[in-house]
Amino acid sequence: MRCKNPISLELLVAYWLGEVSETRAATLEEHFFGCAHCTQRAEALVALAAGVRAAVRDGKLSMAVSTAFVEAMKQAGLHVREYRVEPGGSVNCTIRADDDAVISRLRAPLAGVTRLDVVSMPGAGGTPEERLIDVPFDAQTGEVLMIPSARRLKTMPTHTLRMQLLAVSETGERPIGDYTFNHTPS
Amino acid sequence: MALDDGTLASRIAKAGAVPDSAAETELYRRLAPRVRLYGLRHLRDPQAAADLVQQVLLFTLEQLRAGKVRKPEKIASFVLGTCRMTVLEIRRGTRRREALLKTWGDMAEAFEAPEPLALDADRLVPCLEALTERERSVVVLSFFADKQADEVGVELSISGGNVRVIRHRALMRLRHCMGAAEDEA
Repeated sequence: MRCKNPISLELLVAYWLGEVSETRAATLEEHFFGCAHCTQRAEALVALAAGVRAAVRDGKLSMAVSTAFVEAMKQAGLHVREYRVEPGGSVNCTIRADDDAVISRLRAPLAGVTRLDVVSMPGAGGTPEERLIDVPFDAQTGEVLMIPSARRLKTMPTHTLRMQLLAVSETGERPIGDYTFNHTPS
Repeated sequence: MALDDGTLASRIAKAGAVPDSAAETELYRRLAPRVRLYGLRHLRDPQAAADLVQQVLLFTLEQLRAGKVRKPEKIASFVLGTCRMTVLEIRRGTRRREALLKTWGDMAEAFEAPEPLALDADRLVPCLEALTERERSVVVLSFFADKQADEVGVELSISGGNVRVIRHRALMRLRHCMGAAEDEA
């Protein structure tokens, strides 16, 4: 069943996401219809995409996302709770049983920032200190959107979490925002 | 040695009054994943893709039985052409699934498509968590709503080319973490 001239993973992804021309897609489809091996590899990619969607829906992932992604979550019918926090600010927050995700919108002066790290510092009863390196962000929105794992958050007791954004460059790093989350289970 | 698709199709076409059930079942089993992939890519809906498998392959078997496929040895081309035509008709709203199932209802019960591949979610989540922040964001933004690299790039203030590089590296790491065969670059 193996293929002598398998379609590369890069091309399989480009086909699945519609990044190839109609003509190229048609050529690839002719290959798939004659090749069980490449079809199976494409199916594995489709299964991965489905697995990613399921992990997001089930609140199993922590991640930095975009504003458009949050809109896509809402369009997919997910219930999203959002907290917007200014630098130096704090917020009382929670997650309810019917929430699929909680979004922390960290406002920050991001213009000119090339690398952003996020440090989470525990308050009493909080999680251990953690540093997330090179977190993606959209500088134009002036916000960093963080989604903690909803599944994990729902098991957490009352605690305080402090987050700090660090702009990192070749010359060093500087804090550009501190945020405090006072979490209470609901 | 297993028969190729064309030979199976030729057997079905030559069977005459008594259908070659073994050849039909085997051909259906082989072609179903290919039609389903086409359906998922063009219709973006698992149920619609499953319906397409049934519609296209039942039509194909019927045409083979009736001797209406001119080149059974090139059955893959016939099925691909039928997929294209059927998806166009679905998009135009002219394809009536109920009417098709009425025509081939009895025949449909005899065939079953293999289950789609599914990943072990318990293995996938730790693998996603093991990616860098940027890799995980790119993978999630790409596949949650099937977005192209240029769109993801705009959302993350990086170029589409950069997204493609990060996406490819992340997928290779995921494949390795999930234990997939390293048969490609």
